Amino acid sequence: MAPNVYSEKKRILIADDSPINREILMDILGNGFDYVEAFDGVEATEILENENEEISLVLLDINMPRADGFEVLEAMNKNRWIDDTPVIIISAAQDVDFAERAYNLGVTDYISRPFDVHIVRRRVQNTLMLYEKQRRLLGLVGEQVREVQKTASMMINILSHIVEFQNEESGPHIQHIRVITELFLKALGQIYPEYKFTQEDINLIGTASALHDIGKITIPTSILNKPGRLTPEEFAVMKTHSAAGAAMLDALPLYKDEPLVKLGYQICRWHHERYDGRGYPDGLKGDDIPIAAQVVSLADVYDALTSERAYKKAFSHEKAIEMIKNGECGTFNPRLIYMLDSVADELYSRLNGAPENELDDDMRKLTAEILQKNDITYTGRTAAILEKERKKYTFFTSVSSDVMFELSYKPYILTFLNDAHKRIGAKHTLVSDPLDSDELIQCCGKDKLQDIATLLAKSTPGNPIIAYEGEINIDGGKHLCKLVAQSLWTDSSKPEMTGAIGKIFIIE
Amino acid sequence: MTVRQLYDKVGGDYENTLARFLTEERMVRFALKFPADQSYALLKNSLESGDMKEAFRGAHTLKGVCQNLGFTALYEPAHRVTEDLRAGNQVKEEDLRELEERYKELLDALRAFGESNA
Repeated sequence: MAPNVYSEKKRILIADDSPINREILMDILGNGFDYVEAFDGVEATEILENENEEISLVLLDINMPRADGFEVLEAMNKNRWIDDTPVIIISAAQDVDFAERAYNLGVTDYISRPFDVHIVRRRVQNTLMLYEKQRRLLGLVGEQVREVQKTASMMINILSHIVEFQNEESGPHIQHIRVITELFLKALGQIYPEYKFTQEDINLIGTASALHDIGKITIPTSILNKPGRLTPEEFAVMKTHSAAGAAMLDALPLYKDEPLVKLGYQICRWHHERYDGRGYPDGLKGDDIPIAAQVVSLADVYDALTSERAYKKAFSHEKAIEMIKNGECGTFNPRLIYMLDSVADELYSRLNGAPENELDDDMRKLTAEILQKNDITYTGRTAAILEKERKKYTFFTSVSSDVMFELSYKPYILTFLNDAHKRIGAKHTLVSDPLDSDELIQCCGKDKLQDIATLLAKSTPGNPIIAYEGEINIDGGKHLCKLVAQSLWTDSSKPEMTGAIGKIFIIE
Repeated sequence: MTVRQLYDKVGGDYENTLARFLTEERMVRFALKFPADQSYALLKNSLESGDMKEAFRGAHTLKGVCQNLGFTALYEPAHRVTEDLRAGNQVKEEDLRELEERYKELLDALRAFGESNA
C-alpha cells in the first residue's frame, strides 16, 4: 500500500502568543507545510480538539495567556492526543528547568530561542520522520493482524464446510453462526459488563463457533440427511455428534491447550445442553454450561429456525424470535433471552445486509488490543487515521478509471490494483517478472516494456517521476496511452529503489 | 543605511543573527515587523494597572522577540525585568528606564532604516 501518494501537505500547529515569533517559524519552515496558528493555550487546545487528526506536529510556546503550554500538554495527555501528535516546545535557553517538566509530559524535542534556521528545520524534520515511521509500522501491524485473522478463519471455514457439505446444509450456516455469535457476545458484554469479553475473546469464540458441528462427520449420511422424523434409535446416534466433535478436538496432540481449541471443545460438546439441565450429552445445568456454548447454542437454534432444512421450511425472523422466547426450542439463560430482545432488529439487518463497516471496526479494536498487550500505544485515533488512509486509498483506486499498479523489485512483481489487470488482458492481479511476462508483452510489446524499465532505472530520489506514451492493447483494442509512474526509495543515506507506483490512462 | 549599520546603531548582534537567519532579506523582513509587536505595550500597561502576571508575559515575550531578532541592547533590560517579575520582585526603576530608552532608539532607527530603503 502507498497511501501517501494522495496525502496533502502536513499541517503544523504553532501556538505562541507573539505573532512575530509565529511568522518567523512559518518563514523558516517554508511553504512545504500547512499552518494553523494559536495565540494562546485555550485556542491551541480547541484546535487540537477539533482537528487533531489533521495535525502532524505542534510547536508549543510555554508562556501564553489564558492557558500556558503546560496546560495544553496536560490536555494532550488526558485526551491521549500526545500519543500520535508530537510536540516540540519553544523556549529560551535559560528556561532549562521547564525542559524536564515538559519532557515528562511527553514532548519530543525542544527548540530554543533565538531561532536558528538550520536547527528549527532539522528538529521539525526529525520529529516528523520519527512519527511517520512509527505510524507506518503500526499500519503494517494492523495489516498483518487482518491477514492472519483472515487466513485462520478461512481455514476453519473450509474445514467446517466439508462437514456441512456432507450434511447437505452447506450454504451460509457457518458464516451465520459466526456473525450471530459475535453479535450476541458483544451485546451480552454491553448489557452485563461482568462478562468482561474483550474483542479478542469475541473473535476467538466467533471463530471457534465454526467448529460446533464437526462431530457430524461421524454420523451416517442416511441419518444426517433423512427427510422425515428420526426414530428414537436414529436420534440417539445423531446426539453423539456433540461429544464426538469434542473428542476430535481433545485428540489433537499439538493444539489441545490453545484457547481456540479449548473454546471449540466447549462449543462442540455443550451446544446442545439446556439451561434447565435437560440437554445432552452431560445434562449440565445453568451456568455450568460455559457461556461460549450457551451463546453458540442460541445462535444455532435461531439460524436453524430461519433456514430451510430437509425436514422443515424456514420460519420468519419474527416467528423465530417469538418461538425462542416462548421456550418452544429449549430453555435458555434468561440473560440471553433478554439480550436477544435487545439485538433482534440488528440481528435481522446484519444477516440481511452488508456487514463490512462493522467488521472493520472489530478488526480495529482487535489490533488495538494486541498492540496494547505489547505495550505499544495504538489509540483509536491512530487506528482512525490509518483506517481513513486505507479507505481513501481504496476509494481513489475504485473511482479512478485509470489502470493503477505497484511495482516491487524484491521480489520482482507488478501488482494491478482494483482488478485493472483485466483491462490489459492479464489473468491475475500479480504479474511476476513483468519484463518477461507473455501477458505484458502481448499488451504492449517487449521494446516498450524495456523502455519503461530503463526510464524508471534512470529516475532518482530527487526526480522520481517518469512519463511514457505509446500504443498498447487495452480494453480489447489498440489505444494511445500515457503511463506516469513514481519510483520509490529507501530512507537510508544511500537510497535504493524499492519499486514504483503508477498509472496508465488512455489519451486519445 | 545597510542592515549592518542598522544593527550597529541599535546595539544589535548582526553577525549571529545573520548566521541564524541565513539571509539579510529574512532579517530585515522580520526586523521591520517589530514596531507592530504588542509585547512592550502589554508590559507597560500591565505594570501601570498592577497586573503582574500579564506584565511578566509581556516582558517575557518582548525578551523572546528581541532574542530572535538579535536586538541585544533591548534584550538585556527586558531579560532583567522578566527575571524580576518571574521571581515576584519589584522591578528596578533603572531597568525600566533603560528598557524604554532602548525601545525608543530601536523604533526610531527602524523607522529611519525603513524610510531610507523605501
